[in-house]
Amino acid sequence: MPMQRGSLVGACVFAVLAIAGAFLGSYPTYLLNLAMINVIAALGLNLLTGNAGQISLCHSSFMAIGAYCTALLTARLGMPFWIAIPAGASAAAGLGALLGLPAIRLKGIYLALATLGFLQIVQILVEEFAGVTGGVRGMSVPKPAFYAGLRVAQYPLYLVVVACCAFAVWTAGNILSSRVGRELNAVRLSPHAAQALGVSVARVKLVAFSLSAAYAGLAGGLLANVVGFIDPTEFGVSASLRQITFIVVGGMGSVAGSVIGATVLSGLPEVLRPVKEYSDIIYTAILLGFLLFLPHGLVTVGERLRMGVIGTRQGSE
Amino acid sequence: MTGTLAFQLAIAGVSVGSIYALVALAIVIPFKASGVLNFGQGEVVTAGAYLALVLTTLALPYPLVVVVVFVLGALGGVLIERVLIRPIVSAPEFTIVIATFAIGLLIKGAISLRFGDSPVSIDGPFGMVPIEFANLRVNPTSAWILVCTAAVTLAIIAFFKYTRMGKAMRAVSINAEAAQLMGIRVSSVYRWAWGISTAIGAFAGLLVAPVIGINPEIGSLILRGLVAAVIGGFTSVTGAVIGGLAVGLIETYSGVLIGSAVKNLVPFLLLLLLLVFRPYGLFGAAEIKRV
Amino acid sequence: MKRVRALVWTAIAALLPSAALAQEQGVSADTITIGAFGPITGPAAYIGLGGRDGMNLAVKEVNAAGGINGRKLVIVFEDDAHSPTRALAAVKKLFEQDKVFAVMSVGGSNATVGAVDYVKERGQVMYVSIASAPQVTWPFSRNLFRGGTTEAARYGELYAEYLATNAKTKRIAIMSGREEYPRNEGDATVAKLKSWFDIAPVARVEFNINDKDFTGQLVEVQKSNPDIVAFFGNPAEASIAMRQAKELGIKQPFFVGSNMVDPSLIAAARSNAEGVTGFSLIPLLPGSQLPDMVKWEGAWRKEYPNAPAGRPNNFDLLAYGDAHVMAEALRRAGKDLTTDSLIRALEAIQNYRVGPVATPRTFSTKHHVGNLTLVPMMVKNGAWEPLPWNSTRESDILKRYQ
Repeated sequence: MPMQRGSLVGACVFAVLAIAGAFLGSYPTYLLNLAMINVIAALGLNLLTGNAGQISLCHSSFMAIGAYCTALLTARLGMPFWIAIPAGASAAAGLGALLGLPAIRLKGIYLALATLGFLQIVQILVEEFAGVTGGVRGMSVPKPAFYAGLRVAQYPLYLVVVACCAFAVWTAGNILSSRVGRELNAVRLSPHAAQALGVSVARVKLVAFSLSAAYAGLAGGLLANVVGFIDPTEFGVSASLRQITFIVVGGMGSVAGSVIGATVLSGLPEVLRPVKEYSDIIYTAILLGFLLFLPHGLVTVGERLRMGVIGTRQGSE
Repeated sequence: MTGTLAFQLAIAGVSVGSIYALVALAIVIPFKASGVLNFGQGEVVTAGAYLALVLTTLALPYPLVVVVVFVLGALGGVLIERVLIRPIVSAPEFTIVIATFAIGLLIKGAISLRFGDSPVSIDGPFGMVPIEFANLRVNPTSAWILVCTAAVTLAIIAFFKYTRMGKAMRAVSINAEAAQLMGIRVSSVYRWAWGISTAIGAFAGLLVAPVIGINPEIGSLILRGLVAAVIGGFTSVTGAVIGGLAVGLIETYSGVLIGSAVKNLVPFLLLLLLLVFRPYGLFGAAEIKRV
Repeated sequence: MKRVRALVWTAIAALLPSAALAQEQGVSADTITIGAFGPITGPAAYIGLGGRDGMNLAVKEVNAAGGINGRKLVIVFEDDAHSPTRALAAVKKLFEQDKVFAVMSVGGSNATVGAVDYVKERGQVMYVSIASAPQVTWPFSRNLFRGGTTEAARYGELYAEYLATNAKTKRIAIMSGREEYPRNEGDATVAKLKSWFDIAPVARVEFNINDKDFTGQLVEVQKSNPDIVAFFGNPAEASIAMRQAKELGIKQPFFVGSNMVDPSLIAAARSNAEGVTGFSLIPLLPGSQLPDMVKWEGAWRKEYPNAPAGRPNNFDLLAYGDAHVMAEALRRAGKDLTTDSLIRALEAIQNYRVGPVATPRTFSTKHHVGNLTLVPMMVKNGAWEPLPWNSTRESDILKRYQ
């Protein structure tokens, strides 16, 4: 989709979302907030895995870092949300770079294992330092404030989420159509060729990890404020797998894929309410089904229908 | 720490370590043969434990239970390989990793729905009363697990060294294309690798059930098994077993020396350190792909 | 201009929920809609599934007998997966989307605490059957009620009294899990041992939920040379710990928290469970051959013929009893049903129980702690048997509500 048409469509969608939010009740607003937060997280993961080709099982850990940092800055230091949330995202980005350093030397299975190990370590640390994080019992997040005394009401908070989501979509699109984006894809498609052409693969991987962590951290900080309560089970392996499901179902390597996958699957639990005992299994089956039969995601379905031809999407293997 | 306590802890460490060793074995074999790391191996162990539960409730004698668990475990592996793994064996690694994760979760979900989440257990084959000697106590089931682990390890080593299929598997793990050209049916090798792997995994579930209990969460064992496999370098059978015992001992000793709070961190810190500095483990061949 | 309009609409939207409350949401001419939540997925699913099924059985009985003042009782159930975040989302949905009249919690403490602050603000009734987290009843909140499980502090009182007055057990080692419920039990016991009997535990160790190895903790316990080991956690962990204790040569008996006084402990620990003591929240456990339980189990199995092993469990019974208490209060609140009339009806309940399978509930205008009764039991020959021991100390709990 040409960049300009895409931006116009995106801008319209977000404008509609922003206005519609004024008319919606508390629960639908809550659901939309969660969906947009999922979109932000999916965008980050897609940059890392879909574009740069790095397997990561610890995306939810970066969300956790963003969430807990934001929560602690708000609760302990009384910071307003517009400092706390970016601070949380930055902390996550920093730790993403830190993880990126050893990850440079790893690939495939070994990278997957390393990220799994990292996730377990973050989980254990959160649970152990219960004095700080509330441990397994979780911690309550104070309501967000513009500054001491002026609380952010529900609709303004919703607008903040809309703005952040729009920002995330816009920056991701820009990244992908810039040189950085091309380097990300090059590292995935042929690291040797990229290296030969003077692209520092190590640097690109580092950037990829750091960027994806920043998105996740932003999503985490927003989650903490929207829900008002965070606990470690929200950021475990199942959360990481859920985010992977977003990009697999939506389409790896594209902004549209992240948005579609996250939005569709965010609505799924509502649809599955009548059979909620089976919701976990259904979710997993969807993931497996797409991996086996539609590995390029829903985005390609739209493309195929549009073009009427069967072809592979640009940028995937 | 007294000498007696150190010995008692060594026994505890080796008991739990032999379970990790079996899980690591089950992971390493199909990885060696087909390059697929089965992240769902933990759930194979869970399935084995529940199978043991069903068979024991049917009052089958223990030797028969062992045989049935091996056979059904192997068949299950062959089925999974045929239906779910074969289509994606040449897909990018990401797909394989996530697919095996998903398969594991499906197994766990199905078990949860069928059996519920209440923990149950079965008795060990030799009773649960610890054997006492020289001021030390050994749980007979733990001793049995150690014996079985040794037996399985020796059997696998013999399999790779002396049998046709074993040698074929080694050939395929070195170079599948060349092996195919030499007349080896690669699809057959994969099938065998998976069948053996899930058979061992299910057997591990049967062994572990009296010791850890039976509930849908026991699959989290795989994390320790993965650490053990990394120690072993993923390509060495003896490495996997030694890795498993090492993880068990390290865990047990650090639990007493450092305290239970950070004890759980140790295997994962070890994992990260190994992956960064010695990814081919302490026993494996330096075959890591780097860029 | 757009902004002004948006603000006006926001104001109207904000007013709408309160408008709904004025005509008592969840109550119509022929139905009362009650929300409920608990874990039906994840490792704690045996709590929520039991809670849901026991509650639904009671609701079915109530509706079969004609309903409540001419209205049928309808339950809307949400999964909380034992997570506080999900519990909060579940309760929000139940009140704001499904427009329920009141909510019953049949989940664990860990999750329910996530919802408490929101419900307090909301003002509608939440009746907590199974969770024992202190925040539900202390500080006092007019719209929150606690049913089956008693206060964490009450466990502390009974456990401390039992352990201390039982002459052979002055040296007490405590092992507790890092989750809400086990930690509360442990803390409460330690507090009461100190304040009532001036006894300090000889060892206090913690473990993580889902741990499979307790060697480290048990070594420390063994070093302290206790008379008894008090274990607060889950049946799966208890069974491993009790086995490992034997292997380390720990011959002292175990005392377990009340969530483990359940047939599942015996199913998991098998012969190691022999001689274990604990307090039960229900007078009869599933599997008992006494006629009242046989009759109740018969009715349960007729309703749920395909239930897996281990069911019905204690949570079925707890939720069953409490659902009947709720139904009774709804009945007494009369045809003109409001949150206020429900609260007054609940507060008037004195020693009410639906039958011998439940313990009696008593509320007052000063406190909403419905149950202070626990029955001491021991595992004898593979089954839980009541012990002939009675508490003689008066509970301190209700004093602070005066």
